[in-house]
Amino acid sequence: MEDQMKSLLRQLVRRIPIRFLKVTLEKWGRLTVAQQQNIDFTQTKWALADELIAYSEENRLTLRHITELEMIYVIDNPNQGMWHAFQLVDPESDAPAVELMQFKEQFKSHLNELVRNVSVKMKKNTDEAVWIRIAWGDSCSRPNNMRPTYVVHYLQTPYVFVTRLTSKQKTLLSQAMIIATRHQAIKDAHLSGRNFSAIRDLLMQEYEQVFPAKYPSALVERNQIAALPNIEREQAEAEVNRLQMACEAFGGGKLPQLQSVVYKLETKFKDPSNQTFTEREKPFNCVVTFTSKNLLESLRHCASSGIASTPITPLLSSIPRRGRNYFVITDKVSGPSSQINPTV
Amino acid sequence: MCFRRSSVWIGVAKMVPARQKSVARTPNSVVQRKSKIKSYRQSYQSMTAASRLCLTRALTSLWLNTSRTAPKSDNILDKVDPRQLASLMKTEWQLSYVTPLYQFRYTQLKSYSRQLSAFMAAEKEQVEDGATQNFKVSFSVVHGLVETDYDAETILIQIYSKSFFAGQNEHQKPVWKGWLACVNGNRDYINSLPKEFISLPLFGSSGTEALTALVKSWFQKNFDCCFGSLEINHISLQWLVALWTNYHAESNIKQLQMIWTLPVQPLLQVSYAVNPVDAWELWCSVKGDQPELVKENKVIDIDDVMRLMKGLMGYFYRLFKVDLSAGSLSSVSTALGSAKCRGQIKISNSKCMTTTLTLLTECALLKMPI
Repeated sequence: MEDQMKSLLRQLVRRIPIRFLKVTLEKWGRLTVAQQQNIDFTQTKWALADELIAYSEENRLTLRHITELEMIYVIDNPNQGMWHAFQLVDPESDAPAVELMQFKEQFKSHLNELVRNVSVKMKKNTDEAVWIRIAWGDSCSRPNNMRPTYVVHYLQTPYVFVTRLTSKQKTLLSQAMIIATRHQAIKDAHLSGRNFSAIRDLLMQEYEQVFPAKYPSALVERNQIAALPNIEREQAEAEVNRLQMACEAFGGGKLPQLQSVVYKLETKFKDPSNQTFTEREKPFNCVVTFTSKNLLESLRHCASSGIASTPITPLLSSIPRRGRNYFVITDKVSGPSSQINPTV
Repeated sequence: MCFRRSSVWIGVAKMVPARQKSVARTPNSVVQRKSKIKSYRQSYQSMTAASRLCLTRALTSLWLNTSRTAPKSDNILDKVDPRQLASLMKTEWQLSYVTPLYQFRYTQLKSYSRQLSAFMAAEKEQVEDGATQNFKVSFSVVHGLVETDYDAETILIQIYSKSFFAGQNEHQKPVWKGWLACVNGNRDYINSLPKEFISLPLFGSSGTEALTALVKSWFQKNFDCCFGSLEINHISLQWLVALWTNYHAESNIKQLQMIWTLPVQPLLQVSYAVNPVDAWELWCSVKGDQPELVKENKVIDIDDVMRLMKGLMGYFYRLFKVDLSAGSLSSVSTALGSAKCRGQIKISNSKCMTTTLTLLTECALLKMPI
């Protein structure tokens, strides 16, 4: 068995937790029933890898089969590693008509034209997502299967999600992608995170959205803690309003799990009590990063508890509304007064 | 033995009004401030006269110095051995306060090294039956860190792992380092201690928890002292923001980064990193002077600190409508050093060593129960 195959199989066994390994191997279906039953999942990972290598040799499996195993695991457990979102822009007239076979063919052939040694594997998932695994090589070396790039594209949407990519690979991938999807350009969507489902849900707005309503009773009833009948809460109305505004800005229920948002600020400093600094021409440069286990929920809680004043500033509400978590904020010079508007 | 004193002083420190130039109120008397620096000591004096080292200290209205001066000599490298200074810098220390040490003699450091090493060997044997690791301990004095003649000199303790094979290896890295210091300690307090006691209120350690606990228990047994964890509260962290920003003229701070934690579910951390030039210019505008004058002016007042923080937090509020004071400042870092509210400090530049240690010594003295 080739060395690269063995190393890849070992790497997979190391990476996949035992509790997922059994299920993934079953889904893979490349081992016989007897082999599947014989595997001892309590042994050390090294020994387990040895056993799998032996079975793979027995079944005469190739590198392609091993990469299949990796892909099955990644598709079922996408919330690992760092994902970055891109957006396709300027569609051609026939862009909406691109269907799966055409996309697959075009993408593979163009990428092969651009890069001499590249190995591409594509798979369509049940939720209409096309998963692509790319092992990059170049004119001198074979494709490196140990550090592949995963790309996910939902046909008929302009969104593309990518894992690790060097800048050179990014250019090549962009080229292939725009040709295959019949668009003119692809740009950075400035959204990244560890949780693939979160950034996908955020971009495609697949989470519970709350719209302004005259009678927000449903939301209030769900969220209000049981109040004693003889106690009137002084701040009740204000609290309800804050909660409503917080949910309108960020969403209701369970929110996509973003980890951080970064703001690069280059705006003028204004402080009525510090005239000298306010008159300074240069902008005040700083970088603000908000980090949390679930950023959107934290921000929503900030708004509903009053730490963030309502109405919520567009800087924060842009995260779900525009689906991005990297902003460069400069002063928008419009006429005599300069306003703070997110401009990129 | 160790009394947990209620932290009344924190409340008082917050209540210091913006322009309290002339009068410092104390429960016993109204003391007129002659100069900003001396007032703290005067009010303290009126208190310690009445109540020495006893529980009523909790009632005194002590607070951190409301103004600070830069050290007399600019170059610390002239005073302190560079190698010893290097062992104090660029390491993250976990801080504790220490009550005064009974009969600690600077002449007996070699004997202490042997005693501590024997103590550690004995303790380790009790815990593990297997191979015991031998330790070599070294106590040394770091001359020159202190500013006044009533401060005790800093003690540096280093623990090396003694290996059976290698000989005396000069360049071996210690497995544990620690130090005891008192920089610009409160003169009245130190003078009020009985003769046999030495005050080295600030203790820093770097290494495993187990070794730190061993060292502390040896000190407790031999010098009848008490250790307690020293947190760096938000006022001290804000002081560090101002003190370190003030040093930008002499040494580029690269960036001023403050980290706040907001109490929401799940916990939200806000990192606010300011460009150093902008931070410095904001600081100059807060002091109300040209940069050259700010550089020469060695005195920093708490009002300046508060105005700087207000400016920074106000700018943040204007953009994000999030009130940072709803959370707590948990860490400050610049190229000169970093400090965390859990009591961790790292000093990366010798220029600010004395000012930082002065602030921390004050914190330790204030937190001490006796």
